[in-house]
Amino acid sequence: MASVNPAIDIDNTNEEPGTRAPLVLGGLDYAGVTETVCAPWEAENPPKIWWLILAAAVSLLLVLGGCVNHLLMKGVGVWGNNNPAYWGWPIVNFVFWVGIGHAGTLISAILFLFRQNWRTSINRAAEAMTIFAVVCAGLFPGVHIGRVWVFYWLFPIPTEHLAMWPNFRSPLLWDVFAVSTYATVSILFWYMGMVPDIATFRDRCKTKIGKLVYGVLSLGWTGSARNWHRYEIAYTILAALATPLVLSVHTIVSFDFAVSQLPGWHTTIFPPYFVAGAIFSGFAAVVTLLVPARAIYGLQNLITLRHLENMNKIIMATGMMVGTAYGIEFFIAWYSGVPNEQFAFINRAFGNFWWAYWIMVTCNVVIPQLFWFKWCRTTPWFMVIVCIFVNIGMWFERFVITITSLCRDFLPSSWAYFHPTGVDIMMLIGSFGLFTTLFLLFCRFLPVIAMAEVKGIMPHGDGHH
Amino acid sequence: MADKHDNDSKLVGLLAQFDDPDSLVSACNEARLAGYKSMDAYSPFPVHGIDPAIGIQRSLLPFLVFVVGFGACFVGLGMQYYTNAAEWSPIFPGYAFKISGKPIFSLPANIPVTFEVIVLSSAFATFLGMWGLNKLPMFSNPLHRISRFKRATNDKFFLMIETKDEKFNRSETESQLNQWGAVAIEECRQDLTDNQLPSWVRLVGLLGVFLLMLPPVMIFRNMGMTNRQPRLHVVPDMDWQHKEKTQVLSPVMENGEYLFADERAMRQPVDGAIPRGRLEIDSEMYRGLKKDYRPKSAASSIKTNAQFVSASLEDKKEAPAAEAEDVSMWLTKFPEGITVDQDFVERGQQRFNIYCSACHGYDANGNGLVNQKAMALGANGQAQWTAAKSLHDATVKDDSKNPLGRIFDTITNGRNTMGPYGSQIPVEDRWAIVAYVKALQQTGIKPLTAVVDEDAGGEDDKKSDADGGSDAEDKTS
Repeated sequence: MASVNPAIDIDNTNEEPGTRAPLVLGGLDYAGVTETVCAPWEAENPPKIWWLILAAAVSLLLVLGGCVNHLLMKGVGVWGNNNPAYWGWPIVNFVFWVGIGHAGTLISAILFLFRQNWRTSINRAAEAMTIFAVVCAGLFPGVHIGRVWVFYWLFPIPTEHLAMWPNFRSPLLWDVFAVSTYATVSILFWYMGMVPDIATFRDRCKTKIGKLVYGVLSLGWTGSARNWHRYEIAYTILAALATPLVLSVHTIVSFDFAVSQLPGWHTTIFPPYFVAGAIFSGFAAVVTLLVPARAIYGLQNLITLRHLENMNKIIMATGMMVGTAYGIEFFIAWYSGVPNEQFAFINRAFGNFWWAYWIMVTCNVVIPQLFWFKWCRTTPWFMVIVCIFVNIGMWFERFVITITSLCRDFLPSSWAYFHPTGVDIMMLIGSFGLFTTLFLLFCRFLPVIAMAEVKGIMPHGDGHH
Repeated sequence: MADKHDNDSKLVGLLAQFDDPDSLVSACNEARLAGYKSMDAYSPFPVHGIDPAIGIQRSLLPFLVFVVGFGACFVGLGMQYYTNAAEWSPIFPGYAFKISGKPIFSLPANIPVTFEVIVLSSAFATFLGMWGLNKLPMFSNPLHRISRFKRATNDKFFLMIETKDEKFNRSETESQLNQWGAVAIEECRQDLTDNQLPSWVRLVGLLGVFLLMLPPVMIFRNMGMTNRQPRLHVVPDMDWQHKEKTQVLSPVMENGEYLFADERAMRQPVDGAIPRGRLEIDSEMYRGLKKDYRPKSAASSIKTNAQFVSASLEDKKEAPAAEAEDVSMWLTKFPEGITVDQDFVERGQQRFNIYCSACHGYDANGNGLVNQKAMALGANGQAQWTAAKSLHDATVKDDSKNPLGRIFDTITNGRNTMGPYGSQIPVEDRWAIVAYVKALQQTGIKPLTAVVDEDAGGEDDKKSDADGGSDAEDKTS
């Protein structure tokens, strides 16, 4: 079949009244979409850059594995968590990764319900990113429980010898349910959406092992109209289920903080503010991943500048929501008249973690304002830089919330400064290795773009060859 | 496959190819109007308008999901009630969490988990229900053997009219399909010779199941067995530690000798070590010794302000005999900080009745219940027992032989066969007992109320106790 169309950026970001801007460029027809998406998978060898990134990612993954092993052998004392900051980097990293994991479901579920057709090119990669981010997130509380070999005590599993159950009134248990439900539903949603595309892989596969693996994974999908009928209903139901779910997950994550009594944590703004922050960081992560991916794999005709620009607009909007929340927090602290609250927030901005607070404000509130300029939000390399800053800022947001409040609680005699250890730092860096490794494998072995969905939104008539 | 003989394969239907979704939909419409029912369209993506064209009824999936989700609401709530608020199951009892007086079951706190359970169950119902209704996974499908059909997941559109349709007629249907715009028509045949699983699949499957069953069978077998070996402790946690426990023998060294000469694993504090909060520098209060008393010999077991208490084993062994005791060292009045009044003596009575009366009796005549029982046993030769002292004995009552400080020391460290009570009774209470004992001794064996009634100036009487035992002694004698 025809070679992949030359991958160049075509500007489809201008609005023309009365017409829908095209979402598939380069004159691609149905077969062209299939060819473009399958090309990276059908290539005999992945590009050199893929190997380079994989080598780096696997090295970091080994660092992570070494750290986890060290942690299990020695105990959680290898972290910097200590009185009074018993929740140190592990919870910061957990919330950071869970937050990133929100964009995938948001794109696949909420934008689906709002009939935002541009989601089709990016939802698959975003969902994959969600799952890998949740894997990274789950790692930190997973090893933080100390005795990981009895992790199943987290779940309500009957035991004869223990005669105990989890406390269902604890936000930490809600977290267990929320995150594990989220991971499960995300995987179901991701896999179900992928079955028709895996069937495409099955029908194009030339190796025996590939035929077997993709044949089993595609469950014998034929594309029958009767199957599509139920499939579309199921997809809509899952989207309708995932939408409140994605909002509930970060709400419950914020309950970990908000339900406690600590000044700076005990606020009702946390759930919406955490959800906005999660979408903010998640979209930034999607852009950070997709800009290089589309360049490496020549997907510019499917993940167009318009897609990127739309995401950048969402980043800017949610960034301003987060900025508003920062301001409201100060207002409420003043308005509440509680001296401890007031102190907690003044301490955040001007206490001994002032540097973290202002990194957060700069990265999350100031830098995304660049997206007011069209050049900034339609220039791929530049938006990646902005998005990396956004994610640095969002990591610091969780750091500021967790550490400043814990280090300055009600009892001044226990006040202390928080110092991370090398294991803390290496585990954060290593988690990026885990994430990147999984994402690279996904890019190599699974359909990166939802072909069936993209074909579904292409204008009729273009299908003629 | 298609060119196999008729007796090897069965015609399933006629597959017509179309090049774009619109012609597929119009062909489907034509087929439905022509009266065909057993047909299906195949497309790389869901084609708009195909459902009414083929006549697909709306799926029951949403109702299925609703039923499951609705049920999950009660399952989720029930699970939380059962595990956290009820304790009535015979198999796996629930555990009612009683936390800071909060209600045992409060709906708001149980909403998040209920919600997640509903979402999780509904998602599984959707996922599994969809595949189930679609009769997938189904890996054996004659369509997959048609090479042309591989384009159905890429860019082509197909309509298959199946032979089981009443109106199906091989040649007529084919001409109709051609008429409706089919680009190509192909027979879809099911290979009848190839409908058996290869024989090895069953064997390997059985073997696999057998091997998988082994570990659980072994585990359950061992769980129900008795064994001389200790149970397998997969994760030791901190159950075994490199440490010696209290009250056990000293660890033995390689040469067979005890690591510690005293053969005890537990170490005593070094001489002169004072635990936190146990400085007890006031020797009058804590030891009943006069402030200016200095022991004559360094070996004395009784240490003063300067030497503190450090009851090492050696000291105990070298404890001086009773005859050598210098009675003048004992305090003859209550120490500073102790005010003797009615409350104090009543406190002493209460403590005395708890700690002392078992042997000495409630009125201190030395005939408590333990004493009675032990004497009875001793008479039969079943026990060795030195009779408890009557506190009304002349020697015990004699203030010159038994000043207040000495009584205090007796309670604290024991005397003769009497054990020490210092570790059980706080200092103030010991002094309160001393006060009560002195009061008892003054009243003979009458209860405390009698002495207060008898003596109009009861308060003064006790004050005199505080001033000095000898005055009180004079009064009664």
